[in-house]
Amino acid sequence: MNSARYLTSSLFGFAVVLFFGLAYPHHLHYQEQFQLFLFDSNYVCDIIKQPGGVADLLGRFCTQFFLFAWVGAVIIGLLLTAIQLLTSRFVGDSWLYGLSFVPSFLLWIFLLDEHALLGGVWAVMITLHAVCQIVRLPKGWQRYVAIVVVLPILYWMVGPSWTGSHYYRYPNVAPTLLYAAWLSAIVIPLLAYVCRKWIKPSKGYVVSLCSFVLVAGAMGSIVWKNANFKAEKVMQYDFMASHQLWNRIIETANAEKPNNQIGVTVQNLALAMRGQLTRHMFDYNQNGIAGLLPDVQSDATSPIPTAEAFYQLGMIYVAQRTVFEAQEAILDFQKSGRCYKRLAQTNLIIGSYEVARKYLMALQKTLFYREWANETLPLLEDEEAIARHPEYGRLRKSLYKESFLFSDHVTPEMLEDLYFSNTDNMLALEYLKAYYMLTNNREGYANLLLKLNKQ
Amino acid sequence: MKKLLYYIIGIGCWMLVSCSTMPENARQETAQPDIYPDYIGVTVPVNIAPLNFGMADEKVQLVDAVVTDSHGNNLHSQGEESVDFDIDDWHALLDKNRGDSISVTVSAKYDDGWHTYKPFSIYVSPDSIDYGLCYRLIAPGYEVWSKMGIYERDLSSFDERALIENTQFEGCVNCHSFNRGNPADMSLHIRGPHGATLLRHNDGPVTAYNTKTDKTLGFCVYPYWHPSGRYIAYSTNSTSQLFHSAHRNRIEVFDTASDLQIYDVEKNELLLSPILKQDSIYETYPVFSADGRSIYFCAAKSIPEGSYKLDSIRYNLCRVDFNPETGSFGDSIETVFDAVAQGKSVSFPRPSYDGRFLCYTLSDYGQFSIWHHEADLYMLDLTTGENHAMTAANSEDTESFHNWSTNSRWLVLSSRRDDGLYTRPYFCHVDANGRIGKAFMLPQRNPRRFYRERFLSFNVPEFVIRPTHFDGNRASRIINDEYRKNFDVHK
Repeated sequence: MNSARYLTSSLFGFAVVLFFGLAYPHHLHYQEQFQLFLFDSNYVCDIIKQPGGVADLLGRFCTQFFLFAWVGAVIIGLLLTAIQLLTSRFVGDSWLYGLSFVPSFLLWIFLLDEHALLGGVWAVMITLHAVCQIVRLPKGWQRYVAIVVVLPILYWMVGPSWTGSHYYRYPNVAPTLLYAAWLSAIVIPLLAYVCRKWIKPSKGYVVSLCSFVLVAGAMGSIVWKNANFKAEKVMQYDFMASHQLWNRIIETANAEKPNNQIGVTVQNLALAMRGQLTRHMFDYNQNGIAGLLPDVQSDATSPIPTAEAFYQLGMIYVAQRTVFEAQEAILDFQKSGRCYKRLAQTNLIIGSYEVARKYLMALQKTLFYREWANETLPLLEDEEAIARHPEYGRLRKSLYKESFLFSDHVTPEMLEDLYFSNTDNMLALEYLKAYYMLTNNREGYANLLLKLNKQ
Repeated sequence: MKKLLYYIIGIGCWMLVSCSTMPENARQETAQPDIYPDYIGVTVPVNIAPLNFGMADEKVQLVDAVVTDSHGNNLHSQGEESVDFDIDDWHALLDKNRGDSISVTVSAKYDDGWHTYKPFSIYVSPDSIDYGLCYRLIAPGYEVWSKMGIYERDLSSFDERALIENTQFEGCVNCHSFNRGNPADMSLHIRGPHGATLLRHNDGPVTAYNTKTDKTLGFCVYPYWHPSGRYIAYSTNSTSQLFHSAHRNRIEVFDTASDLQIYDVEKNELLLSPILKQDSIYETYPVFSADGRSIYFCAAKSIPEGSYKLDSIRYNLCRVDFNPETGSFGDSIETVFDAVAQGKSVSFPRPSYDGRFLCYTLSDYGQFSIWHHEADLYMLDLTTGENHAMTAANSEDTESFHNWSTNSRWLVLSSRRDDGLYTRPYFCHVDANGRIGKAFMLPQRNPRRFYRERFLSFNVPEFVIRPTHFDGNRASRIINDEYRKNFDVHK
């Protein structure tokens, strides 16, 4: 009978890993980019001193591995399987066995939401584990003492779940699915206890397997229906832009042309980076200027790909402001490894070395950005090394030579100024031509050609 | 058992000794040490927290400091990143040296061994500083904000406490203000969907107000209490911002209209004057004089609507009479300092509470000088009219907002001298003759670690004479409640 249990649990865990690794990897990347886990005593203390801090900390610790989607998928798979195994301890081998998968499936559905935080899953697991340990104690005073001792500890570790402050990115939104998972983890063992008189345990594995198949089929279809594959596609473009995978972006766009703002912005950036924007832009979906250099919104997500375009163009101050504001807009007040990295780079390029150092030294306290920070720190104040650097040297040359004031809207004059102050900046020229083409500004385009001919 | 106890004590003593390596065979340096923060030759109040410091460079393995006085007392500390003086011993030493200097001998251990530097002095002023400092902590951003709040810090220790944070409500909080450092009278603005001005008068309950009326431009900002506690001077500003494409000043915050108004706390009404709400003039940053009979403020000629020649907006320092008995204004405006004639612009006028000096910020243009790297502090002697830069307090980077201690002997100032972006509080001594001491940074237990790891600016530092006893939870309930008491306008 145990082998059936192991088989079903393994199948479940395997399905979770495959789902997040193959179908949902960019949701994991998205999660990772909105936090900055620091190996620093102050950082850790600030988190764990709050109720729920331990679950929150464990969630954040695991989320840093989401930078590598398959590792993230394995972590989620292990967590959800562990929760299922803990729940199954209370459910015998009967038709009810399949119900032991319900809390894990509900958590799986919870994690489909890009704002769901892994701390919530840890909170459910810690609670279940504590209940399991208490139940194992003999009935009587020992159990009562254990409950009295464990309750305040649990309060500290998993916190006041009703506020959901550590488990969902929107501080004021109650994560209903997480509560449902939590509740199911309590109700299902109770149900199994109440029904034990009527539902006899089965000796064979067929009944358990059948109940698993029923629950897995039903809940698996709910998972699939609730998965947001459109968002996954958008996140994929964002991910590829952050890793500057220009060819892959074009290949992805060739396979299925993006029709959302982020996708189009990234597609146009990739085309421009490969010098194909003005020739091929109308082979793809366009969204006017909003698909080229959209106005920056005050949220954490949409400005980041636009900031990538600003950065590559050499509009370093604009890129810096855009990234800074995006990071400030992260709903649960966390910081972002990706943003810190970009802020360090922009400050390095403009010569604001002490501020760059501040970001780099914070990144030195991370697991996966440390190496990059260590490599970048020696560049500070080394003007020659920066000038030689293939990226920073190029971008420093592309900086505006004279400053002007502007609001949120990028104008063709800004791109023109950028190009004519450094005519090696072909990206700026591509964007400028595209700007005129997208706005159908023939006069502007003709004037540009005249200026180019005079060069 | 006794043996075991001795053994444990012995191990403990050995561990204590082994933790501290006394500088041996040190090379004697003729120069004074390069330390962070720079506390060399500063004048400090007798009740300031320990001035812990480290070496400015980060190659040092150990830093050691011995503080001695002329009476034979001494204080020693050693650490890897920073020295960390015992608070009680530090205060005892400073107390014994009021009006005298203490000498600090610094040794630093590098790869090549110990180096001992020429000692430097710290002058202990008998002038004490107020209990604490109140400030807003916020990332130096543009339009969006993450976690931020108002905090108070005990200046004789390292204790910091949040008064209120924006985790307690949706929005942001700014413009905290006290009546001459006395938190019994307190004003605080909340921005966002739960916008309000919180007022506390005579240690009474906190009330949330709607300060916008149909006869004024908008919400009241930049508060300053009248010494009597009956009035608060506010400006009301239509503020915009534009961004530099490539300039270290990064951003310009400017007004497209602004007026002044006085709020009568007792009558709950705004006192308006036509000469303080002229369309052709931007009036801002009102403050009461020490005797409460004048209002100093900044005034600039307005620029045409839609014009973005922001570098042409320059503010003079002006003054108008105010009668606190009747709540009436004088009928003429006096230009106290014509900054425009010098191609400069004044912001943040702050008269000392003894009525002797007025400190202000001078920048190339505009009034939001925190983003202007050229901004420096200047001081006007109100008795002689002498006007000069506060050289000892200024740096090559931004010096902007500032405030006086209640005894008018200390000035707290916001400076970006450390890294050009993050604002940190500095203090300088101003003696009765207007001589200004070298500015020193707000002490921290481990200053480098503290300031490097804090990605927040200290905004609007205000002295407080005692703990504010501000109940943030109660205040957040008031903020989240819909009720707002409306400001009336005097007819």
